[in-house]
Amino acid sequence: MELTLDRKDALTELINIGYGRPAGALSELTGYRITLEVPQVAMYEIELIPAMLEAMLGPVVASVSQVFTGPVSGNALLLLDEQSALVLSQLLSEAGAEPRNFDSNAREIITEVGNILLNACLGVFGNLLRIQVNFAVPRMRLESSARLIEAVVDANEEKLTYGLIIHTKFKVKGGDVTGYLVIVLGVPSLDRLMSELDDWESRQLQ
Amino acid sequence: MDDSSLSRRTMREALEGLGQKVEEASDGNQALERFFLKPSSLVLLDMVTTGRHGLDVLAKLPEMDPTVKVIIATADIQSSTAEQARAAGAKGLLNKPINSDLLKASVTKMLSGGDTWN
Repeated sequence: MELTLDRKDALTELINIGYGRPAGALSELTGYRITLEVPQVAMYEIELIPAMLEAMLGPVVASVSQVFTGPVSGNALLLLDEQSALVLSQLLSEAGAEPRNFDSNAREIITEVGNILLNACLGVFGNLLRIQVNFAVPRMRLESSARLIEAVVDANEEKLTYGLIIHTKFKVKGGDVTGYLVIVLGVPSLDRLMSELDDWESRQLQ
Repeated sequence: MDDSSLSRRTMREALEGLGQKVEEASDGNQALERFFLKPSSLVLLDMVTTGRHGLDVLAKLPEMDPTVKVIIATADIQSSTAEQARAAGAKGLLNKPINSDLLKASVTKMLSGGDTWN
């Protein structure tokens, strides 16, 4: 399954706009400049995704996942390698303690960062596409890519054979923290997203 | 009320900077219990938390004190969410990450009788 070039372009533009807001939010939280790479959009078979994530993030992934529902439903994820998650939690912790392990305070900080970034990103999509996106409580996990994707598949309302993976790499503090924002959608939601995207494009051209 | 200690800490520091006393709750039920025992003139409510949704808490608070003023503090930036909060009776909405200066200005305005929708 592939996206047409035109739709991929339109989606990339929407994501470019949508990912600017979380970058601003993260910069405000940490006090550091955030650099964003060009977003990548592609369809993948679900079983291929764990290996791809492992290549990007290593064997253990720190993730914040947030299920969203509405006309378009899916799962939004903030993904960090283990060390990046520890550094990010340290940047935002009250005591500024050395990052050694994921205690409850570190987990809570990463969860809230994920909540803010994922809401900012999907909220822009909701506003631009004029659809209401409803969010579930964010959940933080520290596990292998394979276990993470299993959990994403289980949590999704739609059967996930393919997933649209929209991801962008961001860097905080010149690269001490590197992470990805990923949105996983099933095929029915992807169809609806494309239809909403067409409407958005038409409004832009009016 | 916020399930994030990071957000509670940010809001506490800003409000104490205004000379206000602050009570914290980490979920909706705890917020309602604490408000019942010790009503506050102003409540800052997160929307999506475990247990009760923020808008549910917003509906219950005036039953205990009709004069209470509520500001929604949420990461959800959708215009439709702001409309929902306004229709449910919130006097204002702040998006996370909370900007301390904006929070202070909103609280000051609200405690002097205004709202922050316009």
